[in-house]
Amino acid sequence: MKTRTLYTFCVLLLVGIVFAATKGPLTTTYLHISETDQSEEASDIAFDKMMDVLTHQRCVNCHPNDHIPKQGDDSHPHYFDVVRGDANLGYQATNCNTCHQSQNNPYSGVPGAPEWSLAPHSMRWEGLNRIEIAESMMDPKRNGGRTPEETLHHLTEHELVLWAWEPGVNADGIPRELPPVSKEEYIKAVKTWFKEGHRIPTK
Amino acid sequence: MAEKNKVSRRKFLVRGGLGTVGVLAVGAYVFRNPIRRSILSMANSMEMGYMGDTDTPMIWFEVTNENNILVHSPKVEMGQGTFTSLAQMAADELDIAFEKVQVVHASTASGNIDGMSTGGSTSVSGLWQPLRELAATMREMLKNKAASKLGVSVGELTTKDGAVHHKDMVMTYAEITDGVTEWEVPDTPVLKDIKAYKYVGKPLARIDLNAKVFGEPIFGMDASMPDMLYGAVVRPTKIGAKFIKADTSKAEVMPGVVKVVLEEDFVGVVAASLQQAENAKNAIVTRWESPNGLQTKDIVALMTVGNGKTTIIQKEGSALEDTAEGLEQLEFRSPIGAHAQIEPNGVLAYVDGDRATIKISTQVIGITRKEVAKRLDFEEENVNVIPTYLGGGFGRRLHTPHAVQAAVMSKAVGKPVKYFFSRKEEFQHDMFRPPTHHVLKGKLGEDGLLENLEHHFVSGDVGNNSVLLPNPVPTILGADVGAIRGGFIQYGNVPNHRSVYWHVQLPFATSWWRSLGLLANTFAIESFMDHMAIKANKNVVDFRLAHIQDDEIGIRLKNVIKAVSDKAGYTDEVVGGKAMGMAASIDAGTPCAQVAEVSIEDNQIKVHKVTVALDPGLAVNPDQVKAQCEGCVIMGISAAMHEKMEVVDGELTPTIYGPYHMALMKHAPKEIDVVLLQGIDRPGPVGEPPLGPIGAAIANAVFRLTGRRLTEMPLSLS
Amino acid sequence: MKISMHVNDKLHSVDIYDENTPLLWVVRDILDLKGTKFGCGKAACGACTLLVDGEAVRSCSYAVKFANGKHITTIEGLGTKEDPHPVQQAWIEEVVPQCGYCQPGFMMATAALLNKVPNPTDDDIDKNIINVCRCGTYYRMRKAIHRAAELNASEASSTTQNS
Repeated sequence: MKTRTLYTFCVLLLVGIVFAATKGPLTTTYLHISETDQSEEASDIAFDKMMDVLTHQRCVNCHPNDHIPKQGDDSHPHYFDVVRGDANLGYQATNCNTCHQSQNNPYSGVPGAPEWSLAPHSMRWEGLNRIEIAESMMDPKRNGGRTPEETLHHLTEHELVLWAWEPGVNADGIPRELPPVSKEEYIKAVKTWFKEGHRIPTK
Repeated sequence: MAEKNKVSRRKFLVRGGLGTVGVLAVGAYVFRNPIRRSILSMANSMEMGYMGDTDTPMIWFEVTNENNILVHSPKVEMGQGTFTSLAQMAADELDIAFEKVQVVHASTASGNIDGMSTGGSTSVSGLWQPLRELAATMREMLKNKAASKLGVSVGELTTKDGAVHHKDMVMTYAEITDGVTEWEVPDTPVLKDIKAYKYVGKPLARIDLNAKVFGEPIFGMDASMPDMLYGAVVRPTKIGAKFIKADTSKAEVMPGVVKVVLEEDFVGVVAASLQQAENAKNAIVTRWESPNGLQTKDIVALMTVGNGKTTIIQKEGSALEDTAEGLEQLEFRSPIGAHAQIEPNGVLAYVDGDRATIKISTQVIGITRKEVAKRLDFEEENVNVIPTYLGGGFGRRLHTPHAVQAAVMSKAVGKPVKYFFSRKEEFQHDMFRPPTHHVLKGKLGEDGLLENLEHHFVSGDVGNNSVLLPNPVPTILGADVGAIRGGFIQYGNVPNHRSVYWHVQLPFATSWWRSLGLLANTFAIESFMDHMAIKANKNVVDFRLAHIQDDEIGIRLKNVIKAVSDKAGYTDEVVGGKAMGMAASIDAGTPCAQVAEVSIEDNQIKVHKVTVALDPGLAVNPDQVKAQCEGCVIMGISAAMHEKMEVVDGELTPTIYGPYHMALMKHAPKEIDVVLLQGIDRPGPVGEPPLGPIGAAIANAVFRLTGRRLTEMPLSLS
Repeated sequence: MKISMHVNDKLHSVDIYDENTPLLWVVRDILDLKGTKFGCGKAACGACTLLVDGEAVRSCSYAVKFANGKHITTIEGLGTKEDPHPVQQAWIEEVVPQCGYCQPGFMMATAALLNKVPNPTDDDIDKNIINVCRCGTYYRMRKAIHRAAELNASEASSTTQNS
């Protein structure tokens, strides 16, 4: 719950900053809006949109800070004490693919997508704020040696990431919640952020 | 030679026992509480006998052309190894090799089903006398027939290896029975001496081992018939939901749907495939009316000693006043528990004209038939219930209203209909183990022994409101015969002791769950005994032994406690981070004591080893008795340490394995050491008694490790 | 949709209306192999475990379309009474089953485990064998899994000697 509160706080803070930045002139005009600033502003807005998705519990569920995948909107530890294993795919014989296939299963409600697996431990996001997550994501030491181009590709084209918008139904047959931003908007935001130099806000 | 209808010794023996109970139960109505108590105490220790045919060996035993004997079992095989024990008993009295005996389920058409149920751990003990007598009678019948075929006198004949021998002539049972259509039933011969048995008492491999290891289609879920369709029935998710109406228009036109069946009490759909039936079911819009938002805390508040009606089920000496000096008092709770057997409830029904065939995993073959016949307005004789192996029973299959629903759907479409519960339905519409609350009170005398011991407890229904107990019985007895199981004080030397039962009606169904009240009652009483032993500064073994009276059951109880203590090397000390806990119970006349060896790892309770001492009397198959002890220990660990149903906004939850935590491989002790004692010379109940002590044994060990007395199941340190 | 798959080394071709139908029901109801069990339909209990190209798969949650061209092994194809698989042999020696319903799933999961880890430790067993058994046969199962590993090893060594 604490981390959720923190996220909410960060979101509010950033929204507040953006709000202050755009509406600034109406109150105290201590911010001078230059050309560069405008592109920075676009970058920051894009960053926020992107991070609204990447901080969604369903993204973080597979980027745990321990070795236990999380499940559900309440991010509970994966049932049956499933853990990461040597290759981020579970145990030797009982692994992700014992239950998860390359597509969602409409009858069982078991989610599935190509390369269903846990993100490597270096890519742990659980408990990080959005700035820290972004730092981790762009750090080749932690992101699996990806160049920014490769990270962009992962974020916008990897089917496991895009599964977020096709999450299927749960065990009760009820559709899973969608991320707070549409897929098109998200992809656009990610591309913008990378185009603008993938600048991570400092606040 | 006796007439067929003559009342033989055999008949008298079997029916006699049950008659006595019936008379006593009715008699109790006019008597006062002391008599009621003695009956309740009997009900607690009594093993129900077998209720069915004992006159006609021909319907019990079938001789095949290959000279094998098929035993038609009136009881179903739920996993307890019953069939194997029956085969051992039959082989010994029939003089045929064990390997030549096969056991199949009797159907209602074949006649010798049990009129009541399979349950109460009584299949082997209840059939011990009648099955051996029937087998011995059958052997005499074969000899008589052989004598007339061979033209010699019966006295010159012997039986061996599935054949009758006369000097150097050998006639197999198959040859004897060939062409015979009429049999005369002689008087039951004297049974063999137990010591002369070749198979009884031996740890032989289960006769259903191959079928179960090679995946043969033996379960209710595996049943099929030509042209079979699939049914599904709409069920509410809320407790106490009343059916108002259903809009079936969308379902009716869905692919594969054959018919939507709208009855006064249920809505079902029949379709060509399982998925089509499920899809159509999900498309039916049903309106239910249900009471608002019940929560677990409401159930807990309701389920508290002092609520509801009370009956003193055991009373010796005087009551312990709440103001008494030195009074010790502890409270315990157990949660709602699910059966969670892996094979869901299901049934295949075919109503063809005025006849119905029902293939089903059921513990109540006769009642299933009666209910189906009543709903269809058929003669019972025209409904044939064919029971199958059960993918777990545990009491869940003592209720089979789904058989009626499948029969109604089959009648509506004129084809066989198979239908079974989804896992969610299985969890939400279970007949749960009732939650309980216990108040234990005690007081030590100057000698450090108990002067008073009292168990006050409340439970939801177990036997009450179930099809097995006709309505007046609970009123007559004043207490639920299931809920009180294990609720008695087994320490007869405590001068003042009593057990007081409270009954609360829950808003959802609770019923028989393996061992009934035993697990929760023993958890409470035996945790409290541990507490009092520590108060008295006495060793828990000596403390228990000192309070047990010297009658037959008391001596047997003391023996299992001593045996388990010796075998486990019981100590009150914590050694190498591990501690032991002990508990003992008597269920249906079978005493059991257990020692659990426990440590705490990452704030989790870990059970390393459990030692069990059980006195089941004569163990017909000691290996399977041990298997029951192992299974009960693990199922008990699951119930005592992991399982819990909750009520959230009027719904019972969780509805799937995982969220409903159960013991897995890693939670099972790596060592389970079983010692069998034989305090009586006949088989006693086995399938449930070893479930009693495990919860308390673990909690008592945890106390030694942490100084914390865990008083709620599932046991947890967090 | 037409699906071709090898089931227990026999090629089967099935025409199925809904390609997402769980493999479990195709195996049970169309191929009439009832040894693979339905327990929960949510990939939670493991009663429906079978092998797809040698890997343990919970077939209640495996759309039949994925089986196209694959090799499926069910309990019926693991071994026979005449020639039991080491896992089945071990299960018989240790007299594991009680009600028996969950056992095929456990045996298939064990067969998959031994494929990957020929000599599993208790820890390997605890982690990989996470099916649910209500009768509580885990204690004997653990013994049987170790025994199956032994049988496997001796079978392998005798094969090597013979060749």
